[in-house]
Amino acid sequence: MQIDHIPLAHLFGRRKLTPRLARLAQVSLFGQLSPGELDIVDGLLHQREYLADEVIFDAGEEGQALYIVLDGEVEVHRPDGNGNAAERIATLGPGSFFGDLALLDNLPRTAQARASRPALLAVFFRADFMTLMDTHARIASKIALQLAREMGRRIRQSQFGGGADGRPAWDRHL
Amino acid sequence: MPAQSDDRAGPLVWAAIIAATCLLLAALQKLLWLTVPFLLALILYYLLQPAMQALIYRGVRRESAAIAVMAGFLGGLLLAAMSALPRFGARLLDWQATLGRYLQGGQALLDHSLRNLEANWSLFAKARLAETAAARLAQFTDSLAGHLEPLVLGAAAWAPALLLTPFLAFFFLRDGRAFLRFVARAVPNAFFERTLDLLAEVDRTARAYFQGLLWLTVLDTLTLGIGLWLLGFPGAWLLGLICAVLAWLPYIGSIAGGLLVVLVAATDFPQAPEMAWWAVGLFVLARLLDDFVYMPLTIGKSLRMHPLLTVVMIFVGGAVAGVAGLMLVLPVLGVVMVVGQTLGRLIADARLMARHRHARRLRKKLAEADLAV
Repeated sequence: MQIDHIPLAHLFGRRKLTPRLARLAQVSLFGQLSPGELDIVDGLLHQREYLADEVIFDAGEEGQALYIVLDGEVEVHRPDGNGNAAERIATLGPGSFFGDLALLDNLPRTAQARASRPALLAVFFRADFMTLMDTHARIASKIALQLAREMGRRIRQSQFGGGADGRPAWDRHL
Repeated sequence: MPAQSDDRAGPLVWAAIIAATCLLLAALQKLLWLTVPFLLALILYYLLQPAMQALIYRGVRRESAAIAVMAGFLGGLLLAAMSALPRFGARLLDWQATLGRYLQGGQALLDHSLRNLEANWSLFAKARLAETAAARLAQFTDSLAGHLEPLVLGAAAWAPALLLTPFLAFFFLRDGRAFLRFVARAVPNAFFERTLDLLAEVDRTARAYFQGLLWLTVLDTLTLGIGLWLLGFPGAWLLGLICAVLAWLPYIGSIAGGLLVVLVAATDFPQAPEMAWWAVGLFVLARLLDDFVYMPLTIGKSLRMHPLLTVVMIFVGGAVAGVAGLMLVLPVLGVVMVVGQTLGRLIADARLMARHRHARRLRKKLAEADLAV
């Protein structure tokens, strides 16, 4: 049984996180998960290493998984539609995640992701997320809630734009 | 934009899928001692998986859930065996007499039917149909012991291999996910997502097939059990279950099940030959329900195959690998089809191949970085 669900377990203090789980706990997507829940999610993640300049996925490709940057750096490029050099729209470091829409449906990716420095990524496959919804609905709902929050943040950001200080405009106005 | 490939497999891919299926069937036939326990273990795995998922859902760890589910299954099996063994043991002593009685019943029914035909059709009377059939049947029953002996010896030799079944099923339950991750680690980055999709699809296909097969067995047992019970057959539900399990072998299994029930009818109702015809009618009805209602609802949906291809491949499977081929052809074809179609898409995807070559160049460059003086 998961000890985290038993209130008595709290008398003996919090379960200690391994370095890997501590790194996963820093990812906002998993921010609401308890150590036991993180351990279950970790069992579903795949780990991949990419070299600098290696393409992770292309725009137009059918998305099957969400990627989490554990180490290194990844750039996201949006194609201009004319076959010209793609515009860089984001640079992501450790703790960030991308390709999250693939967790919800299998529509084509809207941008290209490429490692700009050697990167260590954790990959969360949609089929595993769907299984998680059946087997651990509580964990899946926490992840889905974080995902919805992240999407809401992005929608607000795209509507109100971002400032030079790195904070989105809506954050300074609202 | 990456080059997009057509999702439909072309004729070359289909030719490769059918050839690979035939080769696999031929190879698996040589390894039947391993293939059959493996297949049974897969069925057991998909049978027990929902129970294990329910335990995991309640917060039990995967390892503990696998142990609990397998222990429950083996315990149940042991209890069932302990309760059935005394009755079975008592009947085992006169099994030869029982078999002989049922064969004689079948023989009498055949003789009675052929003599009726001869009485009504002079053509059959001239051909002495009943006498010829009786002589051939007598010849067959005389040599029956010779046919049965290798079967019994073969079954005894297979018993240890069958013990592998729960052992394999337990490790499928406990380590299946870890094994998939292990396999995925060997896949190059460029093909990783597609391969994960492929593995999920293979799992989905196999799960749908085997769980569909189990549902089909339940439906067949219910249909035949109710029908035989209404006709007043002794042991209707057991007969229904045996026939439903025999139906796992396409065509041959159904015929064997039908013959079994006809034999029972002819022996247990010697004064009512119409019972055998009622049983045949019930089997035809069950067959029609199977083909047009149950199979499309259970297995048919899982494999997403064209019915013509399914039927042709069943015959091909039988020709390549005999009875084993009949049993294995659909699951093997289902898995090979998914693998073949995905590989076909990967190889035909120029962009993925280009990304893979680019990644290899990057790795080579990194490996050679400090070699030059």
